Amino acid sequence: MTQALLRIDDVGVRFGGIVALDGVSLEVARGSIRAVIGPNGAGKSTMLNVITGIYQADRGALIFEGEKINSRAPHMIAQMGIARTFQNTELFGEMSAIENVMVGLDRYLSYGLAGSMRHGGHFRRCETTARREAQALLSLVGLADDASIPAAALPFGKQRRLEIARALATRPKLLLLDEPAAGLRAAEVESLNTILLKLRAEQGLTIMVIDHVMALVMAISDRITVLNFGRKIAEGDPATVRQSPEVIRAYLGEKAAAHAIGS
Amino acid sequence: MIARFLIYGVGIAAFLAAPHLFAEYHLFQFCLIAATALVVLGLVVVTGLAGQISLAQAAFVGLGGYGPAILATSWGVPLWAAIPLMALGVGAAGFVLGQMTLRISGHYLALATMAFTAIVQLSFIHSDPVTGGAAGMPVPPLRLLGVTLSNGGQLYYVILPTTVLLFVLVRNVLQSRFGRALTAIRQSETAAEAMGLNVLRYKAAAFASSGFLGAIGGALLSLLSTYLDPGQFGITQSVYFLAIAVVGGMTSPLGAVIGSAMFILIPDFLQSFQSYLGLVFALLLLGFIVLRPNGLAAMGPRLVEWVSHRHRVVRR
Amino acid sequence: MLAQVLVSSATAGAVYALIALGFVLIHKGTGVVHFGYGDQVMFGAYLVLIGRVMLGLSFWPATVCALLASALLGALIYGGFMWPLRNASLLARIIASLALGTVLREFVRAYMGPNAWPFPFLLSPTAVPVAGVLLVPANLAIIGVSFGVLGLLFLMFEKTIYGKAIIAACDNQIGAGIVGVRVSYVFLAIWILASVLATLAGILVAPLLTLSPDMGLIGIKGFTAAILGGFSSLTGAVLGGISLGILEALPGTYISSALKDMISYSILILVILIRPQGLMGALMIRKV
Repeated sequence: MTQALLRIDDVGVRFGGIVALDGVSLEVARGSIRAVIGPNGAGKSTMLNVITGIYQADRGALIFEGEKINSRAPHMIAQMGIARTFQNTELFGEMSAIENVMVGLDRYLSYGLAGSMRHGGHFRRCETTARREAQALLSLVGLADDASIPAAALPFGKQRRLEIARALATRPKLLLLDEPAAGLRAAEVESLNTILLKLRAEQGLTIMVIDHVMALVMAISDRITVLNFGRKIAEGDPATVRQSPEVIRAYLGEKAAAHAIGS
Repeated sequence: MIARFLIYGVGIAAFLAAPHLFAEYHLFQFCLIAATALVVLGLVVVTGLAGQISLAQAAFVGLGGYGPAILATSWGVPLWAAIPLMALGVGAAGFVLGQMTLRISGHYLALATMAFTAIVQLSFIHSDPVTGGAAGMPVPPLRLLGVTLSNGGQLYYVILPTTVLLFVLVRNVLQSRFGRALTAIRQSETAAEAMGLNVLRYKAAAFASSGFLGAIGGALLSLLSTYLDPGQFGITQSVYFLAIAVVGGMTSPLGAVIGSAMFILIPDFLQSFQSYLGLVFALLLLGFIVLRPNGLAAMGPRLVEWVSHRHRVVRR
Repeated sequence: MLAQVLVSSATAGAVYALIALGFVLIHKGTGVVHFGYGDQVMFGAYLVLIGRVMLGLSFWPATVCALLASALLGALIYGGFMWPLRNASLLARIIASLALGTVLREFVRAYMGPNAWPFPFLLSPTAVPVAGVLLVPANLAIIGVSFGVLGLLFLMFEKTIYGKAIIAACDNQIGAGIVGVRVSYVFLAIWILASVLATLAGILVAPLLTLSPDMGLIGIKGFTAAILGGFSSLTGAVLGGISLGILEALPGTYISSALKDMISYSILILVILIRPQGLMGALMIRKV
């Protein structure tokens, strides 16, 4: 049996008296797309942040490619192959779009301090290659013509896509997306779906998406995990989850759940 | 390519011609501007680019001056060796100081660097046998290849090339993935971490650079002034260097040069108003941080744009 | 003797408490750490001097004028710089407050000379032995005035509607605005109050330190005291001031008084590094 790429084992996170995650377990298979949904405050972003090392888990284990990553620093976790986007875009606002993407690639450039001081042939070749690869990533998300525009000057939808391009630049094995479809128009959600499905098909990229936008979640997920009050209340393929009474109750309340069961 | 060689050629020609065109006093001023620009370049890296406020620059300058002088007078280490050695040591100290940024930033970092400067200055003042105490100590002249370089005209041949070399190296590093990393860290540490950048190490490295550059600049300044007075290495001077950085333009090496030139040459225009110098500098700082926080260097491109736009319109 | 040390340290502690209070007021109110506050302390004392030397006033009228002038200065600083810069970057605000302090310092250095001026004590500076301890009336005056002012301020914050409005605006700008507190007026009042406090502290400390443009460095001591006390409450500021006075005096007497300043600065760095989050209130978690 193939080992899951990411395994979350009974993880708990509290902030003082508030329990954000209360013993959540899930496994994400390699090459699959997992959506994590739930009402506001369910702990979805907390889960993303504890995976990437911004928060520390108080109990349980986070295992990536067989290694426990609980107490690793965020930059180490990123270097292991986990990339993410942010709910409130954390772009490098004054840098151009292509520079934002290049920061993600910078880790793979093979010149050192001496090389950067000399600006010799090797340096220039690395930079040219990096710029080309960054431009390709921008084209992938539809931002080919916006390469030299400062990130803060881009319209909201394009900023979201730039975040994805930047995350992809780090050549991740696992991509975590924090509400990528928030604020996007229907057509933009469609093109986002296309991009994500293409990434999975062509590169075998594993993706975990947090979102509320069902047009995204239902269209691309292989499996959906539903959280509420820091606990997992349902998990399965989209069709199953859509009809689960617990999920309906969590989102729409008791009456709607009873109605669903009745019908 | 040709343009580049042309610029190099003109630069070298100007460098060699200057001593024959300018009086010794002016050469001395060029040296002062160059050495000050190195100190401010350190601030450009750590505060302008990496976004870490540092009021430690005067301490680095003082250490860069006192260290080699003491090594030379008490241990007979030649200055041409003592200066770079001390600068590396101060750079290491800067790296250690930069580890503080793991825990603090903003106001507290400003305060901690202020306290560091105050402690270093007090050490200079209270270490009488070694540093000459509050009265200070003289700086021995630089001896290079058997030649003693003692005035501005002679030190010119060492200070200018050193400055240009360091500026080129720093500028090159800034236009590489390392410069991108610092700029990224300034704008979003969270995102930089998520991209795999070891933010703490980069910030500490920025502090180390400011230490190294401050120490070299401090050593060169001490050679020019030939005397070390501990009163020159306090928080007020750190603010002075910060003022130069702000006015010149904190995010570019060019800003360090423009600012230094301004601040060194202004006293010449205020001949009879010497006692108002500090006030003028303080008002410049206040004015620029409120009205033009990006400094003079940022106004340059806009000026060029404005001029070329008018040119284009007239052409039609 | 320990009792002697404690009594002597109370003087410094009282002044540190006043300055710390000013820092905390300004920070709680406007979110700005005013790096130029120490220079306002120095400037306040110089205002009295200017009143006496330039305008020929005697001590008490000069003091009153100085207090009024510093109220005006506080209003100008707030209106001209702090309010316009309220949305600027943290770096810009830090540098602006540094710049303001430097302008005050250099102004004084240019117009009143860089040398120290003598400043009159409120009471006699000669020591008087009382129950085996040497007491200095001038120092007692300093302690008395400081604690008197602190007491008045506490009364104001607890009992009057204006004081409560200030506390409310400090705690929750939006909430206070909703219940009818004009937040920008409150912040103006805070700056005026803090500026007057600075002048008061300056008048009290100038005779001890002798008045010079660099006297503003005492601001760092006040900041240290504020941080020691937690930087979030006014009581804390006072306790911090007194603690710093004692912490400074003990090694200063028993080891060396030249080390006094070094000790304060070292305490500052240690406290900042060891307890950075506990000092600004609860640990703040930024949502990403």
